[in-house]
Parts: sequence; C-alpha cells; structure tokens
Amino acid sequence: MANYDAIMIGAGHNGLVAAAYLAKAGKKILLLERRPIVGGIAVSEEIFPGYKIPTCAHLAGTFSKKIISDLELERHGLELLPLSPLLFAPAHEGSGLVIPRELPNAAQEIARHSKSDADRFQRFCELFKRLSEFLATLYQAPLPNKANLNQFHLAKFLELAWKFHRLGEKEMHDFLRILPMSIADLLNEWFESDLLKGALAGRAMLASFVGPRQQGTAFNFLHHQLGNSSGALPTAGFARGGIGRLTEALHDAAKSYGAEVRSGAEVTKIITAKGLVTGVVLKSGEEIRTERIVSSVDVKQTLLGLVEPTALDPHFLLQVKNIRSRGTVAKINLALDGLPTFSSGDQAALGGIIHIGPSLDYLERASDDAKYGRFSKRPFLEITIPSIADPSLAPAGKHVMSVWMQSAPYGLRESNWYAEREALGDAVLDTIEEYASGFLNRILHRQVLTPLDLEETYGLTQGHPYHAEMALDQIFFMRPIPGWSAYQTPINNLYLCGSGTHPGGGITGLPGYYAAREVLKNWRSKK
Amino acid sequence: MANYDAIVIGAGHNGLTAAAYLAKAGKKVLVLERRHVLGGAAVTEELYPGFKYSVCSYVVSLLRPEVIRELDLPKYDLEIIPLDSTFTPMPNGDCLFRSGDHARTRREIARHSAADAEAYEEYGQLMVHMAMAVKPLLAMIPPEPTSWYPGDLFGLARLGNRFRRLGEKLFYDLAKLMTMSSADFLDQWFETDVLKATMSASGIIGTFMGPRSPGTAYVLLHHYMGELDGAFRSWGFARGGMGTISRVIADAARCHGAEIRAQAPVDQILIRRGRAYGVVLASGEEIDARVIVSGIDPKRTFLKMIDAQCLSAEFKKQVSGFKIRGSSAKVNLSLDSLPDFTSMPGVGPHLAGAISISPSIDYIEQAYDEAKYGEFSRRPYMDIILPSVLDPSMAPPGKHVMSIFVQYAPYDLKTGSWPERREALGDTVVDTLSEYAPNLKDIILHRQVVTPWDLEQEFGLTEGNIFQGELTLDQLFFLRPVAGWAKYRTPIKNLYLCGACTHPGGGVMAASGRLAALEILKDTRFGLL
Repeated sequence: MANYDAIMIGAGHNGLVAAAYLAKAGKKILLLERRPIVGGIAVSEEIFPGYKIPTCAHLAGTFSKKIISDLELERHGLELLPLSPLLFAPAHEGSGLVIPRELPNAAQEIARHSKSDADRFQRFCELFKRLSEFLATLYQAPLPNKANLNQFHLAKFLELAWKFHRLGEKEMHDFLRILPMSIADLLNEWFESDLLKGALAGRAMLASFVGPRQQGTAFNFLHHQLGNSSGALPTAGFARGGIGRLTEALHDAAKSYGAEVRSGAEVTKIITAKGLVTGVVLKSGEEIRTERIVSSVDVKQTLLGLVEPTALDPHFLLQVKNIRSRGTVAKINLALDGLPTFSSGDQAALGGIIHIGPSLDYLERASDDAKYGRFSKRPFLEITIPSIADPSLAPAGKHVMSVWMQSAPYGLRESNWYAEREALGDAVLDTIEEYASGFLNRILHRQVLTPLDLEETYGLTQGHPYHAEMALDQIFFMRPIPGWSAYQTPINNLYLCGSGTHPGGGITGLPGYYAAREVLKNWRSKK
Repeated sequence: MANYDAIVIGAGHNGLTAAAYLAKAGKKVLVLERRHVLGGAAVTEELYPGFKYSVCSYVVSLLRPEVIRELDLPKYDLEIIPLDSTFTPMPNGDCLFRSGDHARTRREIARHSAADAEAYEEYGQLMVHMAMAVKPLLAMIPPEPTSWYPGDLFGLARLGNRFRRLGEKLFYDLAKLMTMSSADFLDQWFETDVLKATMSASGIIGTFMGPRSPGTAYVLLHHYMGELDGAFRSWGFARGGMGTISRVIADAARCHGAEIRAQAPVDQILIRRGRAYGVVLASGEEIDARVIVSGIDPKRTFLKMIDAQCLSAEFKKQVSGFKIRGSSAKVNLSLDSLPDFTSMPGVGPHLAGAISISPSIDYIEQAYDEAKYGEFSRRPYMDIILPSVLDPSMAPPGKHVMSIFVQYAPYDLKTGSWPERREALGDTVVDTLSEYAPNLKDIILHRQVVTPWDLEQEFGLTEGNIFQGELTLDQLFFLRPVAGWAKYRTPIKNLYLCGACTHPGGGVMAASGRLAALEILKDTRFGLL
C-alpha cells in the first residue's frame, strides 16, 4: 500500500527542487538520498576542521531566480553573494586581466590590454545578455514526448516565434549563427586580447570534452549566462555560509511543504511490473511501494543501474548506453594559510573567478590531452576563494580555495586514477605556483578528487558534473534521448529530473522545475 | 547599352555552369577567366611532359544529375570512371580493403571484427536512406528563416514538411548527424579503429576540424550524397582528369552561344548607385553587362573587387567573418612505375581505387592538432588515387600519375612561409607514404606540391580553402555565405554569387552555378533586371 504519492531518488539540487514543487502542490513526497548529507554536488563539507569546503560545485549564480522566488529560498537562508571582481585572469608576465563588476571599470581594465576590446566589451555584454535571455525562453519550449504523442502546443510555438522575431533581424541571425559556432571563432570576431578571449572562453570550457575551437562551445557559453550574468560573465555565485546553503535552503523549503527527506538511504533497485513502476528497494533491504518515481540520479545509472534491463526495450537501452558523459574534470580543494600572491595582480582581484587559461590556444591544448587519455600538465583551472567574500568559511586569516581542473579524462590510457591522484594534484598546484610564487607554501591541507573520486562520491557517471555532455547533439529535444526530453521514460510513472535532462547542467535548477511541472501535468490527466 | 546580358567572373566549374544555363536561356554571356586554363580548381594540366595532373580536385561524385541531364553533358564526351574501392594500408603490414563487392567487403571487415561486418551493412543502408532524404536540400534555395515574406514562409513550411516526412527515427538520426563528430557517430556503430578512421576521413576533408570535432559527421553525409548512375556514394574521376568536367561544361556553354575568354583577369566590378553594370579588366578594358555573376569567393569579390564605399560596414564585417581557412594541400607525382605497398604487394585492384592513409582516429586527430597551432602535420592524412591505372591517357605507357590529397596544411603557418616550406611539405608527404610503399622514392620522376598559398595565388581560392568557405554549421544553408544573403544575391543590385561559397557548398557539384543561374533568370522574368 503506497503511503507516498511519489518517491524521489537523489537529493541533489534538481531532486530537491522537484520535491519542493511537488510537495508545494500538495503531493506526499519521500525523497531518498544515498549519502549522509543532502545536496548532491552543491554541498559544503568540513573535510578540514574549521574549513567549510565546497567540495564539488563552487558557484551557483546560474540558479533560476524564479525558483528562488517560488520556493522562498531567501526566507530559508539562501543569500547569493555578488562576485567582485567578476574575474581575474593572471598572466605569466606583465599584468593580468581583472574584470570588475561595473562596466565602465571593466572597460578601463580591458583597455590596459586592448583599447578596441574595451570599446567593444559593453556591446558584447549587451548582445549576449539578450541572446541568453532568448535561450532561456527557448528552454521553456515544450519538447517532444513519446509518452504523450498527442501534445502539440501551437500557442507556445507561435509565442516563441514571436519572441524570436522581437530580437530583430540582425539578432535573429546572430542567434542562429552563434548557437552552433565555436567560442574561439566567436571571440576572435570581437576581441584581440588573448587574456580576455581566454577568460571568456573559459566559461564555456568546464566539463566540455572539446576545446574552444570546436563547434557547439558558443552554445555552452550562452548556457552559462543563465541566472545572474552580465552577458559575458556570471555576476553572482557564492552563497553566504557556503554553497551547501543553496541545497540546505531547498531542503528546508521541501520539508516546509511537507516532503519527507531521508539521507543515508540508498536505492538499489526500481521495481517495475508490466511497464509500470511499483516501488523501490533500498540497500538495507527495505522495500517501499509507490505508484510514481522521480529520479534525479544520472540517466544512465537510473536506467541501466536501478531498473532491470528486461524492463526496457533493447533499442532504448542502446540509446541510453550511447549517451556520452566522458568525464574530463577533477577537483582540488585546499585550505590556505593566507591569500596567494599573484605576480600579475593584487589580492583585491581574488574575490571572484580566478581563471587560469591565458589564451584560446592554451585552452585548446589543455583539451587535446583528454582525447589521448592523459591529463593536462598545463591545465585550464577555474578557481575561487569563497572565504574572501564570506570569512565565516575559514578561521580568521585563513582561506578556502576551490579548484576545478580540466582536462582530466576519466579513462586514462597508460595508468589509473588511484596511481595518478597525487600527480594530478601536483600538476594543478605547480601550475598555480607558476602564476603565484610561494603559493605552495600556503597550503595547509589538500584534497584531490579525480574523475573516479567524483564518480564514487557524488554518483556522477565518469565524474561528469552535468551527467551528460552538453554537446549540440545532446541538448534540447535530444536530451537525454531523442524523443524522450519531457522527463518521462518508457516505464509509466518513472520520471527523470536530473542534469542529464533538459536543459542540462550548471546548477540552474531548471531540470527539476520543468520535470515537476510535467509530473503534475500528467497527474491531472492521469487515466 | 550593355554589351552583354551577363558577365561571369571566373571560369570555375560553377561559373561555367551558370554561364551555360544563362546562355541556354538565350542570354548573351561572357565568361572571364584569369588563368590560361579554364576550370578553376577542376583542371587537368600537363606539368611534366606526357603526364597529366588533376592539379587540385581529383575525384567527382557529387556532380548534379540534373546538370548532367539539362546541359546534356555526355554529348561532349564526359565519361566518369568509378572508383570501386578504398584501400587503407596499416603500419603493421595489415590493411583494410573495401570495395563495391559487398560480400568481399564483408569478409574483409569481418577479419578485423565480426560485429563490424554486420553493422556495416546496416550503416550503409542508413546512410543511403539519409542521403536520399537530404538530397533534395542540395537542389533547394534556402528559405530565409527571419522573414515574413510568403515565399520564405512557404519555403520554411516545405522544409518543415520534408523533415516531418522523414519520420521520427530518421529525423533524429539526421539531427545527430548534423551535430556530432564523425568519430563519436562512428563509435556508436563500429569498433575497428582503421575502419572508423577511414570512414571519418570523409568528414574532415576540406575542413579545419578533426574527426573528434562536432560537426564532422554532417560532412560524412555530404560526401555520401554523391551518385553515379544511381548508385549512391560511389566516387569516380573523369576520363582525361577533372579538367574534362570543366571542359565539357564550357563546351555546353559555348554551344549555347556563351563567349569565354581566358587570360582575362577582372580587377574591379563597376558599380553605380548601388547597381553593378560592368567590370574592368587588369588590362584596363571595360566591359559592360546587365548582370554580373561572380564565381569567386566572397572575400575576394567583396573586399578586393568592389569599391569599399559601395558596401555597408555591417556587410563588410560579415564577409570578413566568413571563415575560409584552408587546411589542405595536394602533391601530384609522375611515377616511372606503380608503387608497391607492403600491405598488399604487387599490382592489384587496390591500385585502381582510393588509397587512404588513415590507420587510426588518433592518427588523423593528431594530424589535426598540429595544424591548429600553425604547423603542417608531420604525419599527414592522405587520400590518394592513381588515375592512370584506369585511364591510360593520363600518362605514357607503363608510367603513372599519382594524385595525393593532403591534410592538414594550414594556410597560416607559425614559422616560415609556404613558398619557403613547400618542399618540406612535399618531403613529409613522400616520406610518410614511403613507409607504406617503400619503392616510392625510387620511382618519382616529377613532383608538384600545391600548398594553400598556391591554391590562393594560382587558383584564386582565398586562404586556400577548397570549398570557398568552411562547411561549419554557422555557415551553411540559409547562413551561407552570410546571414540574410543566402540566395545568390548580394547587397549590390545585379551582382550575384555562384561559387561554392553559396548553398549547397563545396565539392564538384555544379549545384551553386545552376541555382544561381535559375535565380537570375527568375529575377529577369519578374523584370527585376
């Protein structure tokens, strides 16, 4: 006898969002989380005593403002802090590039590297703000749903066409043209400064299998302008009290609507009968019956790991297996005895994103390594020091440093990640040392999370933070599988709502939100 | 008061095609060609006595059947000899050999992987299916997606309908093909590296991308859309070399009354009040016409041949942004006898088809990586044919010509210039090929190396890009060559484009030339000219 209206698997940010919306709509929800803590990849963990470390994700500026408002997350303790400056891109020689929040100051800083770039920067930001807003609108478009073939939303389609035309001819062309482009080609059209181009391209690079010269990366760039962005760079990202506060707030919101959340409860099986879900089995052996399951766990793990293979059509299973989620990132978390001193910039520049990738070629070379199964010795690094904006994260005078590194391919050809973990850490830290002499001496503690560690700890297939690559053939109506982008699966009442679904990863909360909406819609018209 | 109805600048195969269609419709046409040879990059030249090189393009398969039919090309002695096989020698002495003999090919692939042999059949069927579905797009004028004009809306609706009729599965397969990398696409079908590498090579020809680059699976299909005698995918070469194709189209044009002048380079396109009315040759001679059709790439046409004031800053910026980076080179050899491949010693059917130096995906990808940073590949990808094996007219008896298409050779070199490094590229090619055919160096009588710089200087292809513009998703269909100007017309009245820089892109297709001519005739009929 089912007590719950739906059981949800995985209390990552998307699972929590979906649970909150469903509970808010009056549904009785049980959310099951494998780890002892909730939050998925948006967690703060005190792995070094006294230091609140964003062990996985470190920025949440892309999180949907609508969700924050709908679920009253601010009331539940979420405060997103502005980034200031937005970005600092150190250089080996000469001065680095700092991009402050305010556009006139940004222009001034950019002008030190290129006058013409400074002149163009504002226009670039404005154009990309508009284009990314249209992209966000496009994300709301209803997508094909094999489980419900009769739906066709003419009104929505016309609304989209109208909004598209409102962009004006030039920007309509820009949008169509830019969407499939490479970010390198795009930036080369606008700017000349290597540092600036490298810094902007970096925003498209995280978790990308391909480098900035490859098609589809301009789309990634646009995607990362969702939420709080100037059009070119995120403008907010840290949460006061640590990034875990985002998911804690979501957790509180869900509970306040009546959802039950159980951590330390790993689901090992989804039971189905005659194409319908009937319940879940936990690691403890406990079986809970239910009529509806929503999984935010990665699509491959859900459909290939939790569901019995005989419950799904072999052709569908093959398509699931073919979803590409080649992990290319590693995470290094550090406790520092003070701020690093970069030769090319002040400590005042360290409050936002610290981007190590001084040119497009550097980023491209860093991505080359993944193709051949080796990790980069000259990696692209996205670094933040959240304790600057929020000193509560570390003891007085000390700091937390969070480093995302690319490329570190999941499949190493000549070795394995157990053997290479420390070498990876060394390569990353040595790279930072090149730009900030004496940095190595500041390190009090270090944690290196290889793609294998990311997979084992956070349940990410191949350690891919977006669950599935955000490539042109794995977005929109093709995410997670062509025809199945409306969160449903061939198994009735088994839904998907994680980053592996539309519109993808990057801590937007949108997959959870749209999935919940879909679940509720089908609820009302349930036969 | 114009002397001619139309002047076509450039006697490349598209320019000649446009001229032929216009002449056939009764227009008085003059074609002006800079070189002494007609055909643009589809030419045969005897650079070493007795040996004929298809200097640039070397194979044909995409030549539009409607062009062959409508211009009655067989009448002028056009004969295309099919290339029946692809031979990929491997460094370990093994090889992969695929041919038109399905059973034999299956057995051959099964030698490497039984699963792949099965998959190969199914794959072939899918690609043919896909090619048939997409083919009509090659003959279509791209509708403008941002316009409310009934013609465009109708065109978009027709396009939408065409996709809908594909059926769901094929539509999704097509969407994937358009966006995936050829390596990723092929990874879903096959496991044999040398097979995947050889197949993915067609996805990177003429592009500045590697087999792992998104957007290369589409070009796989582009090259798969060729048809000879109704058989999809077959490639062939023209008897007498690629120049035959151009000659035959030129003959058709002349037969309908077109005038063709070689060694008549055009310097400037004359424009008055936003309307093109003539050209000026390098000699200073002015020739007027009601319509000017440029078979030259847009960078050259707009940024070199037109007074800058006649174009808006925005349009000039768009043209400057049109990507046209060359990545290919050619090495043409005169040989004293046949090459002897270690992987298949002696004379055999493998020498009558294509020979591909593509032993693995990594090999091609590494070749690409080097080019990204401004160097030519130290171990290049090569697509080779020996036309003299099937067409003895190309060389003296017992001797041979070898046509080697090379990738990657980036136009922009980090160190040195192409004239300085031309022979080093030639040496690299010969050295690499010698690893597979050790007798090569002993039999070379003559060598021609055509670098991207040479393609630009001699053949008028800006930056040596063989397709007059890269075939990337942001430069295709209604975005080719530039957004808003994808229908062969330009911001200058009476000035048209007809080269591969327009839809449907590159390859010796003659599609652009034909579509451009039809649009011009349409405009004439509506009194717009």
